[in-house]
Amino acid sequence: MSSATDRARSPGEWVQFAVAGIIVAAMFYPTVWMVISSFKSNREIFRSPFGLPAEWRWKNFVEAWDLGGLGGLYLNSIIVTATAVAISVVFATAAAFAFTRLEFPGRRIFYRLLLIGLLLPPPVVAIPLFSILRDLNLLNTLWALILPGAAWSLSITVFLMRGYFNSLRPDMEEAARLDGANVWQIFWTISVPMVWPAMLTMIILNTINIWNELMFALLFIVDEDKRTLPVGLVRFYGYHSTDYALVFAALTITTLPILILYFFLQRFVIAGLTATAMD
Amino acid sequence: MKDKTPEDRLQPISTGAANLVFVAPAMLLFGLFVLFPLLSAVYFAFTAWNGFSEPVWVGLANFRRAFADTVHLASYWHVTLYILGTLFFEVSFGLLMAVLLNSDRFGFSFMRGMFFSPMILSMSAAGVLWAFVLDYRTGLLNSVFDALGLDFLVQPWLSQSSTALLAIMFVSGWKFAGFYMIIFFAAIRRIPRNLYEAATLDGAGPVRQFFDVTLPLLRQNMMVAVLIAVTGGFAGFDLFFTLTNGGPFNSTEVPATWIIKQAFDQNQLGYGTALTVVLAVVVTIISLIYLHISERANVIRY
Repeated sequence: MSSATDRARSPGEWVQFAVAGIIVAAMFYPTVWMVISSFKSNREIFRSPFGLPAEWRWKNFVEAWDLGGLGGLYLNSIIVTATAVAISVVFATAAAFAFTRLEFPGRRIFYRLLLIGLLLPPPVVAIPLFSILRDLNLLNTLWALILPGAAWSLSITVFLMRGYFNSLRPDMEEAARLDGANVWQIFWTISVPMVWPAMLTMIILNTINIWNELMFALLFIVDEDKRTLPVGLVRFYGYHSTDYALVFAALTITTLPILILYFFLQRFVIAGLTATAMD
Repeated sequence: MKDKTPEDRLQPISTGAANLVFVAPAMLLFGLFVLFPLLSAVYFAFTAWNGFSEPVWVGLANFRRAFADTVHLASYWHVTLYILGTLFFEVSFGLLMAVLLNSDRFGFSFMRGMFFSPMILSMSAAGVLWAFVLDYRTGLLNSVFDALGLDFLVQPWLSQSSTALLAIMFVSGWKFAGFYMIIFFAAIRRIPRNLYEAATLDGAGPVRQFFDVTLPLLRQNMMVAVLIAVTGGFAGFDLFFTLTNGGPFNSTEVPATWIIKQAFDQNQLGYGTALTVVLAVVVTIISLIYLHISERANVIRY
């Protein structure tokens, strides 16, 4: 028996391959162009935009790293993202567990309230949030990004985790209950290991969203040394917009590691990012 | 509520107010940083407030001003055009690519991965990169047109009113088409093969098969995709901020960029909040109408 993939390609399939290949290559080219340009001098970017660099100028990266304080930006982004993602996924998993496995006063109301966050555009609360963070003395600290970032991730995380809990029968949890385990033990030793795959998906989705968050970071952080990568990059571009090589180097440093990581974890990343729209 | 979902009928593992402890952390965080700001937005919208002094009640003045603010009104026209653009450059293009990249042959899985890759870049990185691609003097796009001898296509894409919005739609398509491609690709994979085999036996070519088999069966996914594109479009800020920040001459001003400018550049937090309330109402009404329509649309089974 030979499967479909063993047969020689038909002419139609070659056309499909060629057309798809050209479009995908054209779409991917700006990314390649960015990486190649980051090794050039400004003159060269202007004179020969398509060619390879005559001399691979690694010092562009050193210069961009130092001038942009990229190390600090990376560190802030990592702290904000790791903390906010941990908070949102743990809180949301506990809530989804309660919404599907437990009964308590206000269960339906609380869930409906959480759903409000699914359709609400973040700009709607940006201004009051600014004054609340100021009253809490959190403005211009990383907490001003961590707490709202986690809070804004809750709706989608609870919604999807709840769906996952509902797809699993509560047999194990009920059996443990009959054996005399308390709710807390059931949650940690049975439910969490059971929904771990969904938690992983949500970790990836929330990581990408919070890592890339721009508007709150722009409004709630003033000090340069507390900025995260997206704001840092926009500001860096603002200061050095005519120094093409430098900006390309900064772009490459801040995106290439993420892109490489993506190509290794592709399957999980795609599952995470499209979880919103998949049933 | 009349229709209970099956899971509601299952016996809960435990009952009682003590179980609130599982939802309390999430509800506290959500209440403090989403619900409370949302409610205070409704109050601030009726005040004059510069962010430092006490807010002063001004009644409907902010809303009257909002409906007379020509840039504000134009921002809804721009965002409507932008959403229509994303339906073309993101949703339709994504669907086309889902069909084109649907193959088990060698290389296709890799191409799907490459096509999806802009999705994981931050909007600001994508924005800065495309500011260079679209640059008048040194930009990649103009260099390509130059090299091909298409001089008339060499344009200052982002710095003239006639092309800036179109350029942003295009960048948005580059960034998000992969998302819709994967959604449609997953849906296409669930369509039973025998439907296509039957269509082939009936003499339908690839194009007929797309319109007669694939498209009707993707209806539900299309509904979801359009809802995401529309609600996401109204919230659009990052790309506009990085590429044009509303310029040139407010030609790419969308509600989010105008709100941020009014509130934080002009220190009119009361007025800015009124604009956010208008935005929230518009998004809610459109979502409700849309959900109503899509619930009534019959779901095709196979």
